[in-house]
Amino acid sequence: MGCEASDPGRGRSRASLWFTYGGRNREVLEKLVARFNTSQSEHYIEAVYQGDYYEGLAKLRTAIFAKAAPTFSHVVGEVIPYLARAGVLEPMDDYPGYDDFDLVPELGQEKSWVGGDAQPLVALPFNRSTPIAYFNGDLLQREGISPPRTWDELRAVARRLTRSTPPARFGFGCPISWWFWVALVGQAGGQVVEADGRLSLGGAAGVEALRFWQTLVREDRTMRPPPGRDYNAWEQTNQDFLAGRTAMIWTSTAFLKYLEDNAPFRVLAAPLPAHRRHAVPTGGTHWVILKDAPPEQKASAWAFLRFMHEDEQAIFWATSTGYMPVTRRAIRWLEREGYYAKHPNDRVAVDQLSVAQPWPWSTDLFRIDREIVQPRLEAAVLSGSDAQTLMDQARVEAARSE
Amino acid sequence: MRPRHPRDPYWMMLPTAALLAVFFFYPLLFAAYTSLFRWDLLTDPVFVGLANYRVLLESGELGHAFLTTLSFSVVVVAGSMSLGLVLALALNRPGKFPAFVRGAIFSAYVVSWVSVALLWLWVLDPSAGVASNAVRALGGPAVDWLGDPDIALYTLAFVTIWKIAGYSMVLFTAGLQDVPKSLIEAAALDGASSLERFKNVTWPLLRPTTAFVGTTSLILSFQVFDVVRVMTQGGPVRSTTVFVYAIYEQVFMNLRVGRASAEVVVFFLLLLGLTLLQLSTWRGKAKARA
Repeated sequence: MGCEASDPGRGRSRASLWFTYGGRNREVLEKLVARFNTSQSEHYIEAVYQGDYYEGLAKLRTAIFAKAAPTFSHVVGEVIPYLARAGVLEPMDDYPGYDDFDLVPELGQEKSWVGGDAQPLVALPFNRSTPIAYFNGDLLQREGISPPRTWDELRAVARRLTRSTPPARFGFGCPISWWFWVALVGQAGGQVVEADGRLSLGGAAGVEALRFWQTLVREDRTMRPPPGRDYNAWEQTNQDFLAGRTAMIWTSTAFLKYLEDNAPFRVLAAPLPAHRRHAVPTGGTHWVILKDAPPEQKASAWAFLRFMHEDEQAIFWATSTGYMPVTRRAIRWLEREGYYAKHPNDRVAVDQLSVAQPWPWSTDLFRIDREIVQPRLEAAVLSGSDAQTLMDQARVEAARSE
Repeated sequence: MRPRHPRDPYWMMLPTAALLAVFFFYPLLFAAYTSLFRWDLLTDPVFVGLANYRVLLESGELGHAFLTTLSFSVVVVAGSMSLGLVLALALNRPGKFPAFVRGAIFSAYVVSWVSVALLWLWVLDPSAGVASNAVRALGGPAVDWLGDPDIALYTLAFVTIWKIAGYSMVLFTAGLQDVPKSLIEAAALDGASSLERFKNVTWPLLRPTTAFVGTTSLILSFQVFDVVRVMTQGGPVRSTTVFVYAIYEQVFMNLRVGRASAEVVVFFLLLLGLTLLQLSTWRGKAKARA
């Protein structure tokens, strides 16, 4: 009796889902899972929290090796080509109903990667984001400043918003992280991997991107380098913004609702500024089903994924978190119903998709990020090492990397 | 005492030996084996011989991890031992208050590493933390305790000292209480000052305690991981990438099991070397005394 009461999934086909975010986004996902579980009586999803993206990935990989993997999960885009090559992802091309999803191409596998449509379909967009700029709206209004549209304007605005007398305030904040560096490289006119597959790390644009950060942190002293790495640095950036210690930050659109809800001031979002052009990478994660899961579990996972791509869920997810709606139908609906007119901040990331740059389908990119580029970004910004030398070294090391 | 059957001792050792074999020797041998492969757990391992060791040496990662860990350990061992000794000397007296203070100091040792790290993250926050506010109130410069590559490692060492000083204090207190009062009194009657009594009577008698505290603190500090994981994640600019964290990063973040295994082997040899050195020093001393 007690067992039945505590096991609502009894008699249904169960699938396990490992997910990797906490806080508000976790609550929203858990609501959606509960909604799915009560909406029908055939499938049951067990969602388990597994730490941040990197921790979750580490656990997932270890679990795959130990034959204890969940049915499905969601992972960052950079590792999808690697997992696909390792043959652990279920191709979903032939699953029923995919054609009805009406995915936003820039967010789906098709255009998230160069040549993504030529690969078997292994990834479906889930929480997809771009970096955007957030401002302390009250402060901006008081100072009569509008969001910067170019790097030069950003520098000037950061200088104006920096205050050295207590309570001290930095004009600008941004995690020293590969994702934002890739955004800067794109804006400086470069790309990390060239069209012919050569890893250039942006060439001159890569150096220029790094120097821009160095200027803000070391020369202008208008940008605060947050301590910690990975998601600790991101969290710190948010906290500095909310506490009024930073006037403008770059971070993921994922934090939109969190920042709006917790800031004691009006939050204003804007697209990232341009340098030679506008450019942003996309980020966030994609759904993947693990190949080794039993067929009935995969069917349950797929039923859940279909449910998540229905308008109602796609809209609920996006409007509750700040991630982008992944279907075109959802965007059209939000537009039609006047949601974007009422919530202009939510629109920023969607509009930025027109300048989104696809990632290369590279199995090594995440290692180049973690092992070769990321430590050098920190070295350049925090120790002031020469950007050109660092990037030259990075290219040599990347060529040697296997 | 002679065993009834010559085989008896071996049977009795079997449970421990089996545990050691399963949880220590097998993983170690397996690590030594996988260190010869390029492997990510998911795809088939590729035999690469000693290439993992070569890459680790050539890229400077081994040297960096070793030097970082060593710098950390030297500061932690020296700091926690001297602080522990000073505290033990100050608090080695009867009464409820000294006992309370001893208990309060030791309490840090039993709190989990993660809690301690989170607490100190809050204290050391460069903008809003208690430490930074105190420095600012005294007119000092703004210090980014965890964000400055030149400082971060020593900040972590300080937090570690704060946590484990209570441990060496308790051991030193026990050591002090073993020092026969008659010897101290005799030295006092001979006119030795308190400093001379400490130098010529107490300190030599504390030597076994010192050696024990030194060895355990050294091993403890070489195995540091939690504070690094929580407070700096090996950064900034790898300045806090100590040995165990480097291994963790290789296997779980970079998905390089072979390279991580190579680091495990080197780390094992390093600890083995340290232990042998310590043992031989001990035995040498024991022989000298005999």
